[in-house]
Amino acid sequence: MRYPGNEEGGTAGSAGGTGNGPGGNKEDSKPRYSIPGILHFIQHEWARFEMERASWELERAELQARIAFLQGERKGQENLKNDLVRRIKMLEYALKQERAKYHKLKFGTDPSNELGKPPDLEPEPPELQTAAGSDEPISSQVSWRQGRQLLRQYLQEIGYTDTIIDVRSNRVRSLLGLEAPEQQAQQENGGSNSENKRPVAEQPRRVPKKSLAEAMMMEAESAVMANFDFLSGGMDVDDDDDMADDLDDVDDDIKQSKRKSRGIADEVDAETEEVLNEFSFLGAEEASAADKTDEWSYSGARADDVSLGELAQLTVNNDADMNMDVTLDKEAFRKTWMAKYTLRSHFDSVRALAFHPVEPVLITASEDHTLKMWNLQKTVSAKKNASLDVEPLYTFRQHSGPVMCLVMSSSGEHVYSASLDGTINAWKVPDCNIDPYDSYDPSILVRTMNDHTDAVHGLSLHSQKSHLLSCSADGTVRLWDPTSKSPLIDTFSSPNDGIPTAVDFVRDEPSHMAVAYNSQVVIYDLESKKQIVRFECDSIGAVNRVVCHPTLSLTVTAHDDRHIRFWDNSTGKMLHAMVAHLDAVTSLALDPHGLYLLSGSHDCSVRVWNVESKQCLQEMTAHRKKFDEAIHDVAFHPSKPFIASAGADGLAKVYV
Amino acid sequence: MTMSEVKVIVRRNRPGTKGAEFCKWPEEPFEEMDSTLAVQQWIQQTIRRDPSNITAILTPPETQDEEVWKYEHLRQFCMELNGLAVKLQSECFPETCNQMTATEQWIFLCAAHKSPKECPAIDYTRHTLDGAACLLNSNKYFPSRVSIRESSLGKLGSVCRRVYRIFSHAYFHHKTLFDDFEASSHLCRRFTSFVMKYNLMSRDNLIVPNMEDGATDAPPAVTETASTPTTTTTTTKVTPVTGNTTESEA
Repeated sequence: MRYPGNEEGGTAGSAGGTGNGPGGNKEDSKPRYSIPGILHFIQHEWARFEMERASWELERAELQARIAFLQGERKGQENLKNDLVRRIKMLEYALKQERAKYHKLKFGTDPSNELGKPPDLEPEPPELQTAAGSDEPISSQVSWRQGRQLLRQYLQEIGYTDTIIDVRSNRVRSLLGLEAPEQQAQQENGGSNSENKRPVAEQPRRVPKKSLAEAMMMEAESAVMANFDFLSGGMDVDDDDDMADDLDDVDDDIKQSKRKSRGIADEVDAETEEVLNEFSFLGAEEASAADKTDEWSYSGARADDVSLGELAQLTVNNDADMNMDVTLDKEAFRKTWMAKYTLRSHFDSVRALAFHPVEPVLITASEDHTLKMWNLQKTVSAKKNASLDVEPLYTFRQHSGPVMCLVMSSSGEHVYSASLDGTINAWKVPDCNIDPYDSYDPSILVRTMNDHTDAVHGLSLHSQKSHLLSCSADGTVRLWDPTSKSPLIDTFSSPNDGIPTAVDFVRDEPSHMAVAYNSQVVIYDLESKKQIVRFECDSIGAVNRVVCHPTLSLTVTAHDDRHIRFWDNSTGKMLHAMVAHLDAVTSLALDPHGLYLLSGSHDCSVRVWNVESKQCLQEMTAHRKKFDEAIHDVAFHPSKPFIASAGADGLAKVYV
Repeated sequence: MTMSEVKVIVRRNRPGTKGAEFCKWPEEPFEEMDSTLAVQQWIQQTIRRDPSNITAILTPPETQDEEVWKYEHLRQFCMELNGLAVKLQSECFPETCNQMTATEQWIFLCAAHKSPKECPAIDYTRHTLDGAACLLNSNKYFPSRVSIRESSLGKLGSVCRRVYRIFSHAYFHHKTLFDDFEASSHLCRRFTSFVMKYNLMSRDNLIVPNMEDGATDAPPAVTETASTPTTTTTTTKVTPVTGNTTESEA
C-alpha cells in the first residue's frame, strides 16, 4: 500500500510550480513519509476542506432562503384555511336559521332544538320534526344510521372518496374564481353521478341510502348548475334516474350536458346558489337537500345530518388536503406567462423599460446610451423559434452616457429618460407606425434638464399632473414640471441619509413621495417638504427600488439582501418581509390594479407574486449575467396583458 | 485580483452609484469570466482601463476565438459611435450636409431603404447605425455570441466599411467635433487599427489621415471595394470623379 500523500504531494508540487517537484519524484521511488510529502498532503487536504466548507456554506445559505420562502408560503396557506373554516361555520349557521324559518312557515311548528344553536362542528341530533306526511318514525334514526354506515362502506368501495375529493377541489377552484375547464368539471360530476347512482339502482329499497345518494347527485348537479349558469327546466326524478343509468358510461359528454341543462334550477334559489358557489361539498349538499320540496324534506334532513358529521371530519381532518388542492389548482389554472417577444438591438445592458399606456409599444433604455422604441405588432418571426423577434422602430439618441431609467407619461405622448451623466431628457413619443428609416426629426427631443450634477438612478411620474421626480447620486431628489418654462420646482436633500437610491410618488396620496436611501425609506410631503413617516426597520438591506401601491396605502421595496418588504404608509410599520430571490432584488412593478407584483433580480429570474397572499405564482428565468448583473427592470403593460423584463445581456423580453 | 478576493467582489452598479464610480470594480481575469458575455466584458474592461492603449484593447486573450473577438469589437465600435452621432446631431444638418460625403469624390447612398437613397449625412449616420444594430443583433445572422457562423462573417466587413464613413464624414466636414470626440475616445484610431489588423477593410478606403502608426496621408485616389451583395444594407456609391475602382483587400 502506498502512502496517499505521495500522489497528492506530487500534484501539489507541480501545481505550485516551486522547487518541490524533485521531492515528489524522490518519494515515488522510495515509498516513505517525508516532510515535503506530508506538508503537501496537509496543504492539499486543507485547501480541499476549505473549498468544501465554502460550498457547504453556500448551500446552507440557499437552503435557508428556501426555508424562509416556504415558511412564508405556509403562513399564507394557513390564513386561507382559517378563513375558509370560519366562513363554513358562518354559512352553516345561516343555513340552519333559514331551514328553521322555512320549517316554521310551512308547518307552523318551531323546530326549537335547532333554532339558535351556535354553529359548532359536532354532529347534531337529527331533526325529528319532519313532515307530518312522512312515514318515518323517530325510532328510524337508529336504522337510518346503520344504513348510513353501510352506504358509506359501499361508497368507499366504489371509490366515493376519490370522487368527493375531485368535487371538492372543483369547488375550491370556483371559490377562487378560477375558470374551471368545462370538460373536467363535467367529467368529474359525471363520474360522481354514475358512481353514486349505481348503488341506488341495485338496492332500491334502502330508502335512506337512496336519498343520500340522490342528495349527493343533486349536489353534483347543482355544482354544474352553478358553474354553467343553466337555470332552466325542473327536477324530474324519473328522467334523472334514466339518465343516471345511461351515465354509466362516464365519457358520454353529450348526455351529461343534456342532463346538466335540465337541472334543478327552480330549487336552487339565490342563497343556495351562493352557498354552492362558495362552499365545500358538504355545505352544498346540505343546502340543496334542505331546499327540496316536501317530497325531499325528510331525506334532506337526513342528508343534513350526515353532512354535519362528515363536515366536522372534513374540516378537521382534511385541512391539509384542502390546502394542497388550493395550491395545485392555482398552479394548474392560473394564467402562465410565456416569453413571446425578444427585443434584440441594444449593444449593452438594458437598464429600464416602459410600456405605452394603450398600444402594444414599449421603449427600452440601455447602457449603450440609446433608447429604442418597439412595436410588438411589427415582428419578424424567427424560424423554428417560438419567440418572435421585434426590430426597433426608433432610436432615441441624445444621451452621452448610459441611460439609467425611463418613465412614460400616462397619455403615452412623452417619455422621460435620465442618464449616468445627470441629464434628464424629455422626448416626444414618435408615432408607433413610424418608418424606422425616416429622416431625423430633432423635435423628438423636447427638452433636456441638467440640474443634477451626478448620475440619476430613479424617475417617477405623477399619474395626473405632469410632475416628475428624480433621484440622483448627487444626493438630491428633484421635483420637475417638464412642461413649464423653468422645469425645476423643488430640490430635496437629506444629508443624514445620504444618497437616495429610488423614488416614487405615493399613489393614494399624490402630494407625498417615498424616497429610499441606502437602508431607509422615508415619505415626504412635497409641499411642506416635511417628513411624514419614516419606515421603521432595523438592519434592512440597501433598497434598490421602491414602488407605491396604486390604490392602497402600501409601499413595496426591493432589497439587496434578497428581500421584498411591504410597508404601511400611514404607520410606517413593516407588514411583511420575504426572501424573494436568490440574489439582490433589483426591480419591482405592480400591475395597474395592484393585485400582482413583478420582481426582477440579479439571480436571472423574474417572479410574479400575488400581492394579497404574498405567494409566488410564477418564476421565469429570463436573462444571462454580465459581470454580476442580470435583470435591471421589469414592467407591466398598463392596459394589455404584457409584462417585460430588461436584462444585462442587452435583451429585453416581453411575456404574454 | 488575487484568487481570494474574487469570491467577495460583486461587480455591480447599485442604484446610487456615482457617475465616476460606475463600473469601477476590480478587474476580473478573463479566465474567471464564466459568462457568455465574457468577451464583451473583457473588451469593455480593457477600454475602461485605458482607452488610448489600442494595442492592449485589440490583443485578444489567449484561446479566444478570433471570429467572436472581431464580432464583439465591432459591436463595441457601433455602440461607441453613438457618441459621435449624438455630437453630429447638434452640428450636422440636412441644410448644410445634404449628402453623405467625405472627400469630394464619392457620394454615398443610404441602403437602409428599398432603393438606395441620397440621404442627408445625419440621416445616413443614424440609419447606418440603426441598420448595423439590427444586423449585428439579428437572430438570423448572429444567433449566438459565443460562436459566429461562417456565412455571417462577410457581414462584418460590410458593416465596417459603412460605419467608417461616419468617421470620414465627421473628419472632413466637422473637424473640430471629430477632434473632440477622438481626443476622449480614440475611437477612430482604434477602429483603423482594428480593421487593418483583421483585414476587414482595404487600406485605400481608410481615408482619415494619421490614424494608424505610420499611416499614409490622405490617399490620392479613393477606392472602393465592390459592395457585398446583401439585400438589406448595402451602400452603393455614385460614379467616381477620378480614379478607378479596384479590389484591393489584402
